[in-house]
Amino acid sequence: MSIDRARYEALVLPHVDAAYNLARWLTRNDHDAQDVLQEAMLRAYRHFDGLRGEARPWLLAIVRNACWSWLRANRPAELPAADDEQESDTPGPEALAAREFDRRALNEAIAALPLPFREALVLRELEDLPYKEIARIAGIPIGTVMSRIARARRLLAQALQPAAVPRLRVHK
Amino acid sequence: MRTDDRLHAYLDGELDAASALELEREMAQNPALRASVERLRELSAAVRTQADYHRAPARLKRAPHEKRRWFVFAPAFAMALLLGAGIALYLERPGEDTELVASHVRATLGNRLIDVASSDQHTVKPWLSARLPYSPPVADLSSEGYPLAGARIDYVAGKQVAVLVYYRRLHTIDVYVWPGEEASGGAFARDGFNVEHFTRGGMRYALVSDLNRNELRDFAKLLN
Repeated sequence: MSIDRARYEALVLPHVDAAYNLARWLTRNDHDAQDVLQEAMLRAYRHFDGLRGEARPWLLAIVRNACWSWLRANRPAELPAADDEQESDTPGPEALAAREFDRRALNEAIAALPLPFREALVLRELEDLPYKEIARIAGIPIGTVMSRIARARRLLAQALQPAAVPRLRVHK
Repeated sequence: MRTDDRLHAYLDGELDAASALELEREMAQNPALRASVERLRELSAAVRTQADYHRAPARLKRAPHEKRRWFVFAPAFAMALLLGAGIALYLERPGEDTELVASHVRATLGNRLIDVASSDQHTVKPWLSARLPYSPPVADLSSEGYPLAGARIDYVAGKQVAVLVYYRRLHTIDVYVWPGEEASGGAFARDGFNVEHFTRGGMRYALVSDLNRNELRDFAKLLN
């Protein structure tokens, strides 16, 4: 087994920040993100000769899977339930009225999103990836990417509304 | 597709051209819809500009070292190493014993049996430690019937080794001592010579003599 170290360094290492950012948003703390990423980088290095196409989505997919495995083993409660894609409350676009964004509140609101929506949002907004690549990385259909991103933004807008905290949530 | 999802896809530039055109026509006639898209755009921009972007620590921005790669296989690797070492030891032992016996025979045949002749352990020990990178323990066992005759330095298995020379009646016992942990004990016989091994206090001992096996073993117990 021979790994082209120079080629690995040139193609993969520029995307470590993106990989870390994803791991950090999925695990929600620095220590765990570093552990998971270190493991994932080893895997990436070892499977480097299997890389076809662009390195960034390839690396992000490895990191994403490492995060999910880690969460499954260490924080199973954070994994989505089977019916998580079903929305119980469906606020229309009129619920999106958050003009004054407080930086801290925004970060907290993203961190509070359920895992699948947080993942889709981070890949879309922070990595600026097209739906097709997000679908590849997360291993889901493009339609699911679309609905997850839409729902992530709806949940975010809801959480950021000044009235969101005292507001009674009306179900059905 | 939910109507609402369509707005997000439009915002992300993921709507096909025909649907995008249709949505734009709707927006032109519907100010509320237009406002919704605008608020979505603001939210998206806020996430892009204000959400934390976590940068990786420098130590993760290096290609893993081979060493670190092996770390993953460490348990299997250690097993293989242990097995290999065991086999090597197994194969090596007879060679080492043969060499020890040869060394002992050479010393007894010639007159190089003893470099420092002394029955005093306090003479022998400093003499050895002055010439070797380690200081072998020298025991006085004359009261047990094993007077110390002296010591020499020999060359065994590619290294300088301290040899303490004891007498038992008319027999000579060479006690080879060198730093090491690997031997757990054992005996070997060849051409009427016996070899007794043990490890004690980070030192390997090999006793070589024409003394009978049982007495040599008793002597080993006294030293051990």
